[in-house]
Amino acid sequence: MLEVKNLVFAYPGQDTPWVFNFTVSPGQCIAVHGASGSGKSTVMNLLAGFLEPQSGDILWQDRSILSLPPWQRPMTSVFQEHNLFEHLDVQTNIGLGIHPGLKLLPDDQQAIENGLQSVGLGGLGKRLPGDLSGGQRQRVALLRAILRQQPVLLLDEPLTGLDSEARDLLRQLLLEQKSRGTIIILASHDKEDRRILADSVYRL
Amino acid sequence: MASALVVLAIAGLGALILEASLPDVAQLWNNRYLRTVVTFTAWQAFLSVALSLLVAIPMARILARQPVFPGRGLLLRVMELSLVLPSIVAVSGLVSVYGRQGWLTVLANDLVGASWNLYGINGIVLAHVFFNAPLAARILLQAIEGVPASQHRVAAQLGLGRRWYWRAVEWPAVKPVLPGLAALVFTLCFTSFAIVMTLGGGPAATTIEVAIYQSLRFEFDAGQAALLAMVQLIICGFLWWLAARQGLTASLLPDRRVASHKSKTGSSIGARLADGFFIVLFVLFLAMPLVAVFIRGLPGMGSAFFPEGSFVAAPALLDATARSLAIALPAGLMSVSAALLILACGSSAPNKAITRLTNVAAYLPLMVPPLVLGTGLFLLFRPSLGNSSQGLVLVTLINAMMALPFVLQMLRGPLASLDAASRQQADQLGILGWYRWRWLHWPRLRKPLALAMAYGTGLSLGDFGVIALFGSPGEPTLPVLLYQQLGSYRIDAAAATGLWLVLLLLSLFGLFNRLGSPLFRGRPFAHSLSTAPEPEHA
Repeated sequence: MLEVKNLVFAYPGQDTPWVFNFTVSPGQCIAVHGASGSGKSTVMNLLAGFLEPQSGDILWQDRSILSLPPWQRPMTSVFQEHNLFEHLDVQTNIGLGIHPGLKLLPDDQQAIENGLQSVGLGGLGKRLPGDLSGGQRQRVALLRAILRQQPVLLLDEPLTGLDSEARDLLRQLLLEQKSRGTIIILASHDKEDRRILADSVYRL
Repeated sequence: MASALVVLAIAGLGALILEASLPDVAQLWNNRYLRTVVTFTAWQAFLSVALSLLVAIPMARILARQPVFPGRGLLLRVMELSLVLPSIVAVSGLVSVYGRQGWLTVLANDLVGASWNLYGINGIVLAHVFFNAPLAARILLQAIEGVPASQHRVAAQLGLGRRWYWRAVEWPAVKPVLPGLAALVFTLCFTSFAIVMTLGGGPAATTIEVAIYQSLRFEFDAGQAALLAMVQLIICGFLWWLAARQGLTASLLPDRRVASHKSKTGSSIGARLADGFFIVLFVLFLAMPLVAVFIRGLPGMGSAFFPEGSFVAAPALLDATARSLAIALPAGLMSVSAALLILACGSSAPNKAITRLTNVAAYLPLMVPPLVLGTGLFLLFRPSLGNSSQGLVLVTLINAMMALPFVLQMLRGPLASLDAASRQQADQLGILGWYRWRWLHWPRLRKPLALAMAYGTGLSLGDFGVIALFGSPGEPTLPVLLYQQLGSYRIDAAAATGLWLVLLLLSLFGLFNRLGSPLFRGRPFAHSLSTAPEPEHA
């Protein structure tokens, strides 16, 4: 269970701070939407540990994770873009998600191979991100997030700008993750994404 | 590190001033010789900058317009190399082409009866243009190629003529680079030593740097040297301050990562032929002195190593080579290490003053004459400097400092290239410490580091400034040996030494380039998984 309790944050010069409160159970997806600057990305960054709140708490399985650095939190983020290291090939990008020093077991490599096949990127493991389309890059980013096997996925407009085929494939992947008990926090402008994926929707 | 550099520079200058009683500043204007030196230095530097840019700007535009032609890549590499080409070697090449018996002089004399004197301001400015125009053109080309392809496409679609193409597309890219570039070229020409030593025509054609050398070496007048050093520091410092006010953000060194935009503006065959003509002219201007070094040096190479058919290698050349490498390699390593430390401190410093200090430290070696710095430090450390080899340590230190501004420029971009998104990703994936260095910094830095090491080493290898003052004539480095051979009219031996120096430099660049190349280009994954089966689709 992920609990966000009275999480307060304001950027310098911001008059009214945001206050976030919500709870998500395993296998649930909550979606947030709102105008630009409404705080969608802010809540994602607070959860991931990229921003520090003024007060409040984030609990994971009843224990506070607020003091943990990003790499120790049970979460993986996928943003709309800039999710991959441009100078490293697809396999290495994914492999670094499994082990930060790329010390991979044969099983890990097999999982990467299978994952790439399952998202329609078989044979593209040696390509650099710059050689892939937007949809292919997002599939790589999502595959890395999934193979990290963290219990919470933070998705900030992950499907925006993709063609319908890529969207369908990624939605399917996310639904599979949900069914395996992964918590998904989704920030999305797209009504259809929210309808298909989210169990509850919040407007910021 | 930045503070240490600033302290070192101040200590060097301070020691010189303290050791010698500083003469009256009014002496600068009353003493005709000093006045001539200062005005000549500024005048030749101004002319050199103007002519270098006059060549560089059209060449950069032409090279941007012609992204594909045979040998373009090689031409760009040669243009980059002009920064580290030992000036004394280049001068010998220039003499072979433009000297009294030079190819071009003889040809011009035979054809139209024209002749000129290479010695004096003509030769000095020509040599400065030979060195700086290619470098300036390369940097300006980089700026033009950095313009987004979409702007080139829009301009092409609108059918802009060359004048408007320049005003709308190229000038906005060139403009921010120009102040820094002009300051760089001016400083390099203002502090020129080897070129003026060899092509200067007596007291009427002497720069401050050479006057400092003469004050220290022949007149033993440290006070006059300190005064001249401060004049140089004030003029160069003021220039860099002006350039910095304009925003010195653009890179002042060629960056190989910038790709050519490959979009040609529609131009007629006549215009393309004109471009081709100017490219050929530019190539000839660059290549002729270098070819002369090869042609004149090659026949003497055998006898330079094995004199009079002996099978025993000539100790002079080998010793000079070993001495040069013993200075240059540590100097390169020191400059790269210092640059990394300065950049690391600068980027993590929360205080703006520290960032500013690192910027000052970066350009300080361009302003403080190396001879003065060396002399000051020599005086400072004199009690503990016993023999000539300890003097060479000082030479190594000064050489490392002199290379620092260029090395810093090379590493600044790649080190700062880890953007916020990559840092966030790395944080979340736990790619920290050694892993972050290994996977994120090292792949970006490997090549620039090797190139910086090559430049640092190359600049020191060709140094004929500090070593001329502190080196013992009996223990010369390669540039000093070359100067000695030229001075004793052993022209064949000098040509061979010059060629050997160039070959050594090229080998070093080749070696460092090789070291900077990944063994498995773009395959870090396969490399790290040597025990795992290769992917079928690899």
